[in-house]
Amino acid sequence: MTEAHGSTATPEHESSDDLGVDETPPGGKDRKGRRAAAEKPEPKKKSVFARLAVFYRQIIAELRKVVWPTRNELVTYTTVVIVFCLIIIGIVYTLDLGFARAALEVFG
Amino acid sequence: MLTAFARAFRTPDLRKKLLFTLGIIVLFRIGSHIPVPGVSFQMVRKCVDAADQGGLFGLVNMFSGGALLQLTIFALGIMPYITASIILQLLTVVIPRLEALKKEGQAGTAKITQYTRYLTIALAILQSTALVATARSGALFSSAGGGECVPSQIVPDQSLFRIVVMVCVMTAGTSTIMWLGELVTDRGIGNGMSVLMFVSVAAGFPSALWNIKQTGTLGGGWVAFFTVIAVGLLMVGLVVFVEQAQRRIPVQYAKRMIGRRAYGGTSTYIPLKVNQAGIIPVIFASSLLYIPALIAQFSGSKSGWALWIRNNFVKGDHPIYMVTYFLLIVFFAFFYVAITFNPEEVADNMKKYGGFIPGIRAGRPTAEYLNYILTRITWPGSLYLGMIALVPMIALVLFDSTNSFPFGGTSILIIVGVGLETVKQIESQLQQRNYEGFLR
Repeated sequence: MTEAHGSTATPEHESSDDLGVDETPPGGKDRKGRRAAAEKPEPKKKSVFARLAVFYRQIIAELRKVVWPTRNELVTYTTVVIVFCLIIIGIVYTLDLGFARAALEVFG
Repeated sequence: MLTAFARAFRTPDLRKKLLFTLGIIVLFRIGSHIPVPGVSFQMVRKCVDAADQGGLFGLVNMFSGGALLQLTIFALGIMPYITASIILQLLTVVIPRLEALKKEGQAGTAKITQYTRYLTIALAILQSTALVATARSGALFSSAGGGECVPSQIVPDQSLFRIVVMVCVMTAGTSTIMWLGELVTDRGIGNGMSVLMFVSVAAGFPSALWNIKQTGTLGGGWVAFFTVIAVGLLMVGLVVFVEQAQRRIPVQYAKRMIGRRAYGGTSTYIPLKVNQAGIIPVIFASSLLYIPALIAQFSGSKSGWALWIRNNFVKGDHPIYMVTYFLLIVFFAFFYVAITFNPEEVADNMKKYGGFIPGIRAGRPTAEYLNYILTRITWPGSLYLGMIALVPMIALVLFDSTNSFPFGGTSILIIVGVGLETVKQIESQLQQRNYEGFLR
């Protein structure tokens, strides 16, 4: 799995230029520092924990390549969703009030 | 932004679709208020008033928009249909014949849809029988007994004929809902199943909020009320944030000359969402978790296991319940992603059309690479789903509110997920006509 990751690092970076996807290439020093920190707590059980640490670092590396929405996008989407939901909830609530009363008239 | 909503209504075909969807919603709500024949309407009303929202049917009642406890003709809501379609999706992986049907294209899909409908009817019969049986024995409102509510009087005439009629009516109601949902998918806006689910969940919102205001103690309940609203808005923001996050895998298409014209040569990307599974794991986990409680209720036994289930699995705020819920959600998130996104299939398709991920060879290495990314991106995604579903429960335990909270993470996930999807669909329809939509 690590090999697959290593082999993809370079082209990933190259292609990011024209796509504008990945603006933050992982810094080499930073990565080494993190590896050292991750292996510190359990030096004896290296096999399991080291592998977990590698997996964890790979997750972080992938998360860095994720395109998160910008603040602007987030605000518009959130307000639109909230307004939409409020409208629907309002409609359904008034409908329910009316139908509950009608049911009471007919069956009660 | 409000003008965009107005513009949506001014576009003729979009207005037609919106009004059609609204009409279906109205029909759906009417059915949720008509009681099933053979039920004492007055007694049900008294009992619903006395019952607290928690308890065995809390979550399921929320999914049916409060119709379940009122024993109306749409009591089962859209849940049997959703469960059936999820089960069939899962079975497609297991049974080779279904897989062959799925690959067949449109005719095969139609066949699978037909199977889904049959399974829905079967599930509806099963669930309505269970519901009628619990209502008849008085177990449905066992916690609300006393006072004016006499649970055993809900079904006054307990002859077999009455019971069969009740089961038939509820099953028929469920198939009507199924039909309404398909109509919305065909001629309305959004996916019918999720729209009806959305409406059911939304129907419980105002009263749940009001209930919080009533039970709160600080400042006449307003403190709790506004805290809950603030937390809700925050969670909406968080859900939108994660739903919109994508891992984009660049794909380059080779240039090809066919005759005198050049095709391809474009670069696109495969969008992998962080939460690729959507809200399905949450729905499935919650409907699965309710089964043991139902069995215990049904058997009516006083033996050890039944008591254990009753103590640990009925209330949403018990630690064991929460842990199980969380684990189930994580498991189903992985499971569902594995089912819906097949790396080998995608790699195969890319190879067929001359596409490749830069730096990765076509074929198996591509599939492996996609799988590599998918497993690593799904971990945070599934953990996020589980956390969101649990956060409100934990918060409520901290705020020592005893009755479980209908305004929980599950409902927020459903509301925001479906809302986002539907708004995006309206948006794309607006843009087809060269209007700018809401999402500038």
